Amino acid sequence: MKALGRWLTEHGTTVGSPIALLLSWEWASATGLLRAVFFPRPSTILAHLRDLALDGTLWGHTAPTLARIGWSFSLAAVLGVAIGLAMGLWRRLREGLDPVFAVIYPIPSVLFLPLASFMVPAGEVALVVTSAVTSFFLIAFTTTHGVRQIDRLVVEAAVHYGARGWRLFATVLLPGALPFIFTGLRLGLGFSLIVVVAVEIVSASRGLGALLWLSWQILKVEDMYATFFVIALLGALLSYGLAALRARLLPWVPDVGDPR
Amino acid sequence: MSAVVPAAVLVLWELCSRLAIVSPRYFPAPTTVGGVLTDRVAAGDLGAALLVTLTRLAFAFALAAVPAVPLGLLMGIARPVRHVVEPYLAFIFPVPKITLLPFLLIILGVGEPAFVLTGASSAFFQIVISTLAGVQTMDPRLLDVGRNYGAHGLRLFRKVILPAALPAIFTGLRLGLGLALVTLVAVEFIAAKSGLGHLVYRHWQMLSTPEMYAAFALVGALGLVLTRGLHALQARVLTWQEDLGG
Repeated sequence: MKALGRWLTEHGTTVGSPIALLLSWEWASATGLLRAVFFPRPSTILAHLRDLALDGTLWGHTAPTLARIGWSFSLAAVLGVAIGLAMGLWRRLREGLDPVFAVIYPIPSVLFLPLASFMVPAGEVALVVTSAVTSFFLIAFTTTHGVRQIDRLVVEAAVHYGARGWRLFATVLLPGALPFIFTGLRLGLGFSLIVVVAVEIVSASRGLGALLWLSWQILKVEDMYATFFVIALLGALLSYGLAALRARLLPWVPDVGDPR
Repeated sequence: MSAVVPAAVLVLWELCSRLAIVSPRYFPAPTTVGGVLTDRVAAGDLGAALLVTLTRLAFAFALAAVPAVPLGLLMGIARPVRHVVEPYLAFIFPVPKITLLPFLLIILGVGEPAFVLTGASSAFFQIVISTLAGVQTMDPRLLDVGRNYGAHGLRLFRKVILPAALPAIFTGLRLGLGLALVTLVAVEFIAAKSGLGHLVYRHWQMLSTPEMYAAFALVGALGLVLTRGLHALQARVLTWQEDLGG
């Protein structure tokens, strides 16, 4: 009880402010101060969310989104870490690829959808490839940076003690770059979600992005809010969940923040 | 040296396309795209689309930066403000901002305000968070020294806190501008009927691929100029502190 009281005085405003906002929103929409057409009452939205969840619609749209995030993130992670490590280790490769990456990276990823649909089967595969582009660059950049920031002295000491080739890589270079690789993966996962949802809005009939856009087109405003809430929940889960997971599984690996 | 690989890629692409190793319909030769690019720029319609995108970007960036920097600073200085605002930041920040578009479309109607505000929202949250981080991660010794020398209130803020947070603010503005461009082009691709993003979408739908690649290249150039230019500007203006990101 005492602990609860202490927790409340510490986090009271942080918890209280959203509750107060939701309550005043509920009240304002109920009395007509806010137009309920645009701002339906939170309780109504919650009821719609429950209906969507119960009749299976919600899961039917969440599952494809999750699968796409999984595929595109895996693609970006495998290629990004591999090429990032190679670029960190070999200067020639880095100098060759850097200008190419610098041109491609700032291009908004949705624009790769037409290109991807020319190169690979249009539809699901093109969607996954498009969503992997930005994450790939982020992961490759952070991994390269992770290898390059390793203290020269540490590498020289390892070489001095006889570590070479694979051993040097596995015991010195990879562990040294690991914090950066993890940061890259965390940021990359966040971007996978962003691009998957955006591409679903453009070109998919299933998925949370598609559900959101469809709900707008037929003006089911309550469903829009419900879908938005699920996407936000997914975003929070992915970004804070991964950070928490890293803290538990790899407590010795610090999070280095965004090195861009 | 640094141009060798991009040049090699372009030459290879040119050869593959000319020799029909890849379908020239989907992958027109870079020289064809370049020809279309100069034609379209000369005809004025590509420049007009670029101008539309740039205007939207300018409005979106201003609408984001003007409230975001003071809010971030205020959150850094005043703990109660931070406690009230933080849950919303934490909730909205990881959300793809493009999902705000349908809400703005029903509230504001289909039109420029909804497009621009969607772009602004993605920059806004980035700038607030970077600014806040700049105040929070400043060396506390700087504050102590400032206080010991008699700086309080506004003076302490202007002479100590603001300069210390400035590199992070600039990084936030730079990242925010990039995010606003990305979101705006996506909005144009999805909903607007003008701008570079829409041009790529339209030419994709009509399969006029040289025009599509020309617009695509222009977006890439715009992104490159903005990110590189701001990086250089940051290095020049904030010489007393190293960049927070490479």
